[in-house]
Amino acid sequence: MSPKPLRRKTVAMRPWDWSFPSPPVAHREVLSARPTGPTARPPLLMVHGVAHGAWCFEEHWVPTAAERGWPAYAVSLRGHGGSGGARHLRRTLTRDYVHDVLQAITELPEPPVLIGHSLGALVAQLVAERYPLRGLVLLTPAPMHSALGALAAIARDRPTDFLGAVVGRTLSMEPDILFEGLDAATAREYSDRTGTESPFVQWELLLRRRVGPVRCPVLVVGVPGDRLVRPADVRRTAAAYGVEPVWFPGMGHDVMLDTGWDRVLDTVLEFAADLPAWGSAPLR
Amino acid sequence: MTGMAETPSTEPDATTSAPARRRRTAASPAAVPTAVAPTAAGQSPEAAAAPGFVDRGGAWCVVGAGPHGLSALKALLQNGIEADGFERESDVGGNWNFGAENSRVYESTHLISSKPFTQFPDFPMPDSYPDYPSHRQVKEYFGRYADHFGLRDRIRFSHDVIRAAPVDDGHAWDVTSLDLVTGAETTYRYAGLVVANGHNWSPKIPAYPGLETFRGEVLHSADYKGADVLRGKRVLVVGAGNTGCDVAVESAQHAAHTWHSTRRGYYYNPKYALGRPSDQVADRLLALRIPLGIRRALFGATLKATVGDLTRYGLKRPDHKFFETHPIVNQQLVYYVGHGDITPVDDVDHVDETGVVLTDGTRVDVDLLVLCTGYLVRFPFLEPEWLNWRDDHPHLFLQMFTPSYDNLVVSGLIQPDSGQWTLAHWQGVLVARVAEALRVRPAQARALLARSAAEADRRYSAGADYKDSTRHYYEVAHQDYLRALQDAIRALEVSP
Ligand SMILES: Cc1cc2nc3c(=O)[nH]c(=O)nc-3n(C[C@H](O)[C@H](O)[C@H](O)COP(=O)(O)OP(=O)(O)OC[C@H]3O[C@@H](n4cnc5c(N)ncnc54)[C@H](O)[C@@H]3O)c2cc1C
Ligand SMILES: NC(=O)c1ccc[n+]([C@@H]2O[C@H](COP(=O)([O-])OP(=O)(O)OC[C@H]3O[C@@H](n4cnc5c(N)ncnc54)[C@H](OP(=O)(O)O)[C@@H]3O)[C@@H](O)[C@H]2O)c1
Repeated sequence: MSPKPLRRKTVAMRPWDWSFPSPPVAHREVLSARPTGPTARPPLLMVHGVAHGAWCFEEHWVPTAAERGWPAYAVSLRGHGGSGGARHLRRTLTRDYVHDVLQAITELPEPPVLIGHSLGALVAQLVAERYPLRGLVLLTPAPMHSALGALAAIARDRPTDFLGAVVGRTLSMEPDILFEGLDAATAREYSDRTGTESPFVQWELLLRRRVGPVRCPVLVVGVPGDRLVRPADVRRTAAAYGVEPVWFPGMGHDVMLDTGWDRVLDTVLEFAADLPAWGSAPLR
Repeated sequence: MTGMAETPSTEPDATTSAPARRRRTAASPAAVPTAVAPTAAGQSPEAAAAPGFVDRGGAWCVVGAGPHGLSALKALLQNGIEADGFERESDVGGNWNFGAENSRVYESTHLISSKPFTQFPDFPMPDSYPDYPSHRQVKEYFGRYADHFGLRDRIRFSHDVIRAAPVDDGHAWDVTSLDLVTGAETTYRYAGLVVANGHNWSPKIPAYPGLETFRGEVLHSADYKGADVLRGKRVLVVGAGNTGCDVAVESAQHAAHTWHSTRRGYYYNPKYALGRPSDQVADRLLALRIPLGIRRALFGATLKATVGDLTRYGLKRPDHKFFETHPIVNQQLVYYVGHGDITPVDDVDHVDETGVVLTDGTRVDVDLLVLCTGYLVRFPFLEPEWLNWRDDHPHLFLQMFTPSYDNLVVSGLIQPDSGQWTLAHWQGVLVARVAEALRVRPAQARALLARSAAEADRRYSAGADYKDSTRHYYEVAHQDYLRALQDAIRALEVSP
């Protein structure tokens, strides 16, 4: 299928954002680790996916990136991890997550490289349309062009999970769905740490959103055997930005936790190290 | 469109715009080391250039580090265009830099527009800020914006731009600045000039007969910083812009008595309506594309249900429809009128030794006159004709672009019926797109800018007919105007 063209047109008119602003949350969890010495690296900000929290990046990526000289941050979206808003999760919308990430960004000392996983990658793309990122990393990204196909696949493979999602239950985060290489105990432990997701946000995944005029470099990471995001969708996402996805065979959906997380992180840091300085975007 | 010039006969404001005050000139001791070395912003080998002149090549210049200057500077840099800022003060924030020469906020100032449309869309105000932040929070916000985007290094602080002139047949601009710390004058050459020096700083002072004979105190709101000057006095406040209403309220709280003189009746909008900041409610109606007539009816009904008939309080009946004057957002004025602490009175006819005589013939003896009569637009470092100047104000396409020069842009010459910095952001983006296009796709840029002459008088009022007053020269209906900005930005976008 030929990829749909980018929506290059700038969107200045956002009347619903002005008239129904996202309600603030009392507390936003941002886990971070900074390199010991001074660093010229831009900050990395990581955004988790469905029912996860900042903890999934805290496990390996945040400390490892910091050891390698990167100021690393991971934010928990409202109602997730250690952030507030759990009580209102049932009426939380994707735009509230966009708000949360923008809020976390404004607390950083400079424009970050934004790393989004799964649903977090969709949020990251919506942020990239509004905010001048240094770079954008999409890990097994939920598709902007609607997850209808992915949902059909879930309906075929796991009909009860599909029906649950239809009535607003959180998609299954069982170990076999998220991981390929981990030992059973660790996989179970991570799976147990996942929480619930907003039903509206899950339903919103079916919407077809057009990709905005993103001016920063983009890296797309996929795993061929992903049980949540279909490789075809990953390819289509990458094509929308005019890039080729980088594939990590043998891994599960949670590339920041599954065996091989270090190789994925290597790729991400390599991409981030190569970015042009903010304020030196090529003239087009 | 109605004639934009106020007829001098109908009002005594063949105004004297007070001369731009330059508090600090080259007086500071010469030995003080420069906090910001003149080279701070430039990569050019300035040391090697002739003293007093620096060619900044293809770079652009941004005058002013208020919200409009900051957003333009950021957008230029973000799009890979070298740019330097100039700011007279030692900090960013412009109007919100309380106490600065061009700052017009007073101790109690809070925003009148709530956060969502007021803030920069790519740098929202923190969740911890209230709906209507204080001027201190606003200044802190601009400081964080400047830090986050690394703008401070690109701004020459304590540099007053004293002159700018086109050179090389308009292909470049020579900008001369005075370093207020060292007293050194330097001329820099730029490919383009963005003027963001603010439009709320040069006081508009009505020329009342007899004003010079008044033995009490006369203060323009430009010099009003807090309620101390009001304490225990008989005060007459002139003007019912947002400043006049704020000052009248503060005066009601601190003065012996307050008279509030207005030359027409107004609508006093509440800060909250239907449980939300009222501008958010208004934006809902606009989002639903509710036509002007119905919006007027709804606003009228809301006001009727809350404050009711204003003439009952002794206030004048508005001589115009909703949206025909810049909105007043003040919940307290009517309250204090209702408590008898403010006496609404007619327009001032003339002043004598002990007080004022109003147009209806009554006289009021007062100790202090506070003129909250607004501000006039001034560009002391430019020739007015470069800005298509007629009837005492510029006429610019999108209120930004002059027919005279492609590379001279004004940012901030707007007074929206809402918050301003969403518009500041998009004006900045448009500036950057124009600068970029002028460099790499000049034909495309020219195609847009060619509209400058024909559309210099176009207004963005969403159908309203603004009352003839100097303050409405720059009034815009915010969504109407933003849509026009968006169209212009898109016109410069490359199709994939
Ligand atoms: C009392 C008051 C309350 C307001 N409240 C609101 C509100 O609630 N919401 C809202 O959206 N807007 C409000 N406004 C409008 C406000 O003016 C604008 O939002 C905004 O500050 C304008 O930004 P600016 O960058 O155009 O100008 P300014 O903020 O005035 O900044 C101009 C800067 O340029 C510098 N400068 C000027 N000339 C020179 C020179 N020759 N050389 C070097 N530097 C120079 C000045 O020092 C200043 O820092 C209010 C205005 C006033 C007066
Ligand atoms: N955030 C806040 O709390 C806040 C506070 C203050 C100001 N502001 C903003 O700052 C800007 C400036 O406001 P402002 O109130 O200082 O000025 P303004 O809006 O220009 O208001 C001036 C007032 O004086 C009157 N006036 C002007 N010339 C006069 C004359 N010759 N004789 C008699 N009356 C005369 C005007 O009447 P007409 O109706 O005839 O024009 C108007 O009522 C506005 O954008 C305002 O919204 C915001």
